[in-house]
Amino acid sequence: MTDIDVHHLAAAYALDALDDRERTAFEAHYGSCEVCRTDVLEFRQTLTQVADSLVAPPPLSLKAKVMAEVATTRQLSPLVAPVVALDERRRARSLMSMAAAAAAIVLIVVGVVSFRGDDESDTFAADLARVLEQPDSQVLSLANQGDAEGTFKVAWSNTLGEAVLIGEDLPTTPDDKAYELWLITPDSSTAMYVLDPAEDGNVHHTLKAPADPSAWAITVEPAEGSATATGDIIFVSNV
Amino acid sequence: MGVLRAIRARPADVAADLSDPIGELLRRAGRGDQSAFAELYDALSPLVYGVVLKVVRDPSQAEEVAQEVFVELWRLAARFDGTKGSAKTWAATLAHRRAIDRVRSEQASRVRQDRDANQTIRNERDVVAAEVESSFDQVRVRRALLQLSELQREAVELAYFGGHTYREVAVLLNVAEGTVKSRIRDGMIRLRDELGGES
Repeated sequence: MTDIDVHHLAAAYALDALDDRERTAFEAHYGSCEVCRTDVLEFRQTLTQVADSLVAPPPLSLKAKVMAEVATTRQLSPLVAPVVALDERRRARSLMSMAAAAAAIVLIVVGVVSFRGDDESDTFAADLARVLEQPDSQVLSLANQGDAEGTFKVAWSNTLGEAVLIGEDLPTTPDDKAYELWLITPDSSTAMYVLDPAEDGNVHHTLKAPADPSAWAITVEPAEGSATATGDIIFVSNV
Repeated sequence: MGVLRAIRARPADVAADLSDPIGELLRRAGRGDQSAFAELYDALSPLVYGVVLKVVRDPSQAEEVAQEVFVELWRLAARFDGTKGSAKTWAATLAHRRAIDRVRSEQASRVRQDRDANQTIRNERDVVAAEVESSFDQVRVRRALLQLSELQREAVELAYFGGHTYREVAVLLNVAEGTVKSRIRDGMIRLRDELGGES
């Protein structure tokens, strides 16, 4: 997928007329593309006017249902403002993650932080596009278990041997904890990745994926990483 | 809320309050204020329900989806960012997205189920044509849509009202995917120019 193609998807994206793969690819791109962000916002404002022409009185019973559910629904916290000091901690954590992963003799050792500047985000978009271009690429949204907040999506290609992970709206973990990705393969071995959401609650991560995952899962573990999962599974999907 | 009092308390929010009163309700809801959320519901429910109903068609499903949309607005209220569009635009975007999610999960693909593309188009045209243009907004939007070329208009309407992906639109209209992509883009640019950006 070329850049030009991606730029031209802004209108279709605003109309929700992309399929899941393209939507994922566009979302990875437009965060770092001023032109597309502006296009999407303007198209959405235009569509809000179209929406204004569709107004219809909702059933009277709806308000009571909404307010009853709202009364028992926990709200997400505001996204935490960036804190510069976090960078240092993240770098330290990444070294610890790598050491822990190596020590654990897990199949594939990757402990990389997702501290993400614009350059990295461009690289990630390119990684994502490369994976999605493969004829055998698959995309999964991991299912939230219990009341886990946020979303995780993973796209991968067996022929390419790469996977990209996108986590969004994730609550910050306590300082001594981190999200970990578990990749479960048919022979029951698991590979581990320590994930550290950026300040905006997002994780963008490219992984070397071993062949044929049978499931993906996320737990919360001690920040230095665990060889086997100790926390509850908060997101999981079978392939 | 008295504006002067609020200015002393939170000048940034007041600026937003003056330009986007619905956004101010959403900000208050984001701090757990259920009565503000009830007001927000009153202001936005005809829009949210109308968009959802247009896409999912079935009133009882539309009610369920509209409920999901409002609960999601409540959950996410503290993360509302007025620099990324008004609260109303956020609600309209979310309503359309959730309606699309429902349509696509209920019917894996209407295109595959209904190979008679012409019939589908004819039905959807009739639906559009049968709508009573009873309000100023409706007249304005219909007029703006009529400024689009026929293919642009059909592509945009099938996507937004019909909930189809552009690939499905290409099948329905029997034109190349690349053509639909560019007609959708051209059509949206034209519509933006006709209607202006702000709502």
